[in-house]
Amino acid sequence: MALAVVAFLTLLSVLPAVAQDAAKEPAYRAFPLIGSRLAVWAVAQLHLNFAAFILGVPIFAVIIEIIGWRTGDARYDWLSHEFVKLTFAAFSTTALLGALLLFLFVGYYPKFWTYMTSIFFPTYWVYALLFFAETFTVYVWYYGWDWLSGPRKGIHVGLGVLSNLFGTAILLVANSWVTFMISPAGIDESGALKGSVWAAINNFTWMPINIHRLIANIVFGGTIAAAYAAFRFLGAKTDEERARYDWMGYIGNFVALSAFIVLPFAGYYLGREIYAFNQTMGITMMGGFMSWLWIIQAILIGVLFMGSNYYLWLGMERIPGSERYRRYVPIMIGILAFGFMVWATPRSMVITLDEARAMGGTHHPVLGFLGVMSAKNTAVNMMILTTFLSFVLYRRANRISTKSWVGAGMIVQWVALGLAAVVVVFYGVYGYFVESMVRIGFSVYQVLAVLGAIGVVMAIDIPMFKGARSTGTIRWGTIAPRSQYVLILLAVTFTWLMGLMGFARSGIRQHWHVYGVMRDSSVDAVTPAIGYAANMITIVTIAFFALVMFIFWLGGLGEKGMAGGSGHHAPAPVFAGGSDADPTPAPSRESTGGRSPQRS
Amino acid sequence: MRVPVAVKVGAFALFVMGTYTYYANSIPQIQSKPPAELSLEGGNVTPAQLVKAGEETFKTKGTCEICHRIGQKGTRAPDLAGIGSRAGKVKAGQSAKAYIIESLLQPGAHLVEGYPNIMPQVDKPPIALNRSEVWALTAFLESLGGTVDVKLDDIPKTVGAGAAGGGATAELKLPGDAKAGEAIFTGKGGCIACHKAGKIGASPVGPDLSQIAKIQTPDYLMRKILDPAGAGTVAGFPKGVMPPMFGQTLTAKDYMDLVAFLMTLK
Repeated sequence: MALAVVAFLTLLSVLPAVAQDAAKEPAYRAFPLIGSRLAVWAVAQLHLNFAAFILGVPIFAVIIEIIGWRTGDARYDWLSHEFVKLTFAAFSTTALLGALLLFLFVGYYPKFWTYMTSIFFPTYWVYALLFFAETFTVYVWYYGWDWLSGPRKGIHVGLGVLSNLFGTAILLVANSWVTFMISPAGIDESGALKGSVWAAINNFTWMPINIHRLIANIVFGGTIAAAYAAFRFLGAKTDEERARYDWMGYIGNFVALSAFIVLPFAGYYLGREIYAFNQTMGITMMGGFMSWLWIIQAILIGVLFMGSNYYLWLGMERIPGSERYRRYVPIMIGILAFGFMVWATPRSMVITLDEARAMGGTHHPVLGFLGVMSAKNTAVNMMILTTFLSFVLYRRANRISTKSWVGAGMIVQWVALGLAAVVVVFYGVYGYFVESMVRIGFSVYQVLAVLGAIGVVMAIDIPMFKGARSTGTIRWGTIAPRSQYVLILLAVTFTWLMGLMGFARSGIRQHWHVYGVMRDSSVDAVTPAIGYAANMITIVTIAFFALVMFIFWLGGLGEKGMAGGSGHHAPAPVFAGGSDADPTPAPSRESTGGRSPQRS
Repeated sequence: MRVPVAVKVGAFALFVMGTYTYYANSIPQIQSKPPAELSLEGGNVTPAQLVKAGEETFKTKGTCEICHRIGQKGTRAPDLAGIGSRAGKVKAGQSAKAYIIESLLQPGAHLVEGYPNIMPQVDKPPIALNRSEVWALTAFLESLGGTVDVKLDDIPKTVGAGAAGGGATAELKLPGDAKAGEAIFTGKGGCIACHKAGKIGASPVGPDLSQIAKIQTPDYLMRKILDPAGAGTVAGFPKGVMPPMFGQTLTAKDYMDLVAFLMTLK
């Protein structure tokens, strides 16, 4: 990694010279065999996958570490270390892919890079300094795990928080470049910077993409970590190992699901800002040549919702006392399946003239109504509410509240969920009777209703089940093996979805490097169709998982021959088929004062 | 034989990705191609040809169809059926063509009740129609229920300035020698046999290039010289007349000199 940092800084120091030379050079060069676009596409997608992973995982790793520190539960400290270990192994690859991407831009798109440098050169230094700070902090955080334990645990946690702050700042800087390409700001008609670089950074889509990516990175990190745990679960030799990775997979999925529930809202915000920046771009994205892409996205998100819920339901089977909630599962399947179908229904279809005549137009007389945003917003909000309900039932699966006000609390919770559902459906139907500009605003009310219901239910649920009576301990490791394939399905689907959304983000610029400012006049100026993009996304996703497997395997080599199979860090804590009455990541009470017993 | 976990997981992941890929390849495939530049200046264009070229612009580079329909009320923009006749009655003293041109260049000037002010200026990026394209598009819209009477001179000369997109493109400096390029035009290249360029030449076989640098980019000219058919034919002129062999007969220096000369024709 140090080599990558040195290479990056060296490259940065010569960038102005490279940029000047580029002005005298051709606008484009051709990458051998596959062409420049595919080369940039592959490396950019791989880089973003790795970057999302190493930025997302530490966010929840440090939260888990804090939980372990404050409660004294060694399991959380072990789990946090496991997560950071995965991140650490991928760090160098991310940096090298980033450097490779930069080489490709400088070498194959020199004119474009010259222009970007003319706007953003000051930020390159900020990026480099942040990168150095992030690297240094993560090194100390990872290698200082044992050194900074016990009374110094607070310092260690502080390093984790600091590394996340640096990581997020890196994300914000890099996002300013990519969002400027979508929605340029702070420049005059000739494309030159008018005043401060801040105006170019703070463009229309910068903050929405910051938020969207930050949340998506957490989801992505959670799914990959859960898939890693699933892989280890399936290959486990002992019940103890199986129990440990069952728990790790559950936590990974819990993290992913928690962030995933709010991701569509961040997506709405981004969509609104794209429309606010340029109506033509927004319409091209949703109703123009890219409209079919959203059908694929609907399928993928449907799979994610169904998969996450299915995993929770399977997980309930290892919780004694959960039987009383199984009757809700068919209803939830029904809502999710119906929502999935609505979301995947296209507005119009490419059909022959005879078919159109038979159908009475290009829009189906009934199903056509399900293809518009009113129906889709309603569907996704109902799916979010249902998924949240799944989580609530899972959470209380083996607990019975002992509070005197439990009846009233339950009623308020159901009323909150019911009211949210009514608001969502009402605005969904009402949206058919108003102009599009008014309709867009309705999605805000729907989102607020859902978020409000989630807030109310959790605000009641947490105190209501505090000190609850247990109906039995969770039998960690006894979950059906097919559940682990669900975790792998979620990781593969979300990675593929990231590739698809990357194509959408880049594709909405169409034949512009920088929208409306710098035209793409290369041989690759055509924006390909969805099938071509899907082929490319799949190839890169396969390469990503192959690299991830290789890196994890390399990281695992250090464990070979170590006592307890956990490397330098403390051996994993014992689970013995379940030790916790609480299926959520609430702690047990085996206080160790923030120090793992094996490490003293 | 026991199948290793890695093989089972790998096969499962490939199956999942394969399913998504198959589905994505099964639905309609739509590419977004960069729009071709239309150049009508200097050519003898009949109203019918102009309307046809305008219809093409309406459907492609203009991206008008994203919001507007003809004979159908749009949710984002008004129905354009009959606009050629309606346009002249909106504002007293304003002709149909003046109304249409103003609507294209300053869309906020004539908002139709019930529709938001969302239309972009068509001669500015990202649509960036050039003067010829605005001319043709106006003719097409006039033809929807009205009479086509728009002339090139009705379109302001400033239209399309910087339409290729500013930024780095505007800084382009061609390395060729314009003086030497003029000699190629009249001599080795043989361009003068078909084209007029200011005071040079008079042949009407191909478009008049006297002001070509005003309406075309160097990229287009370079492409047109090397691949005349691929770069498209100016409306009103027969296709396939311009020879395709300049890539072989001209040296790299000749080529750059010729482009440099053409870019002086303003």
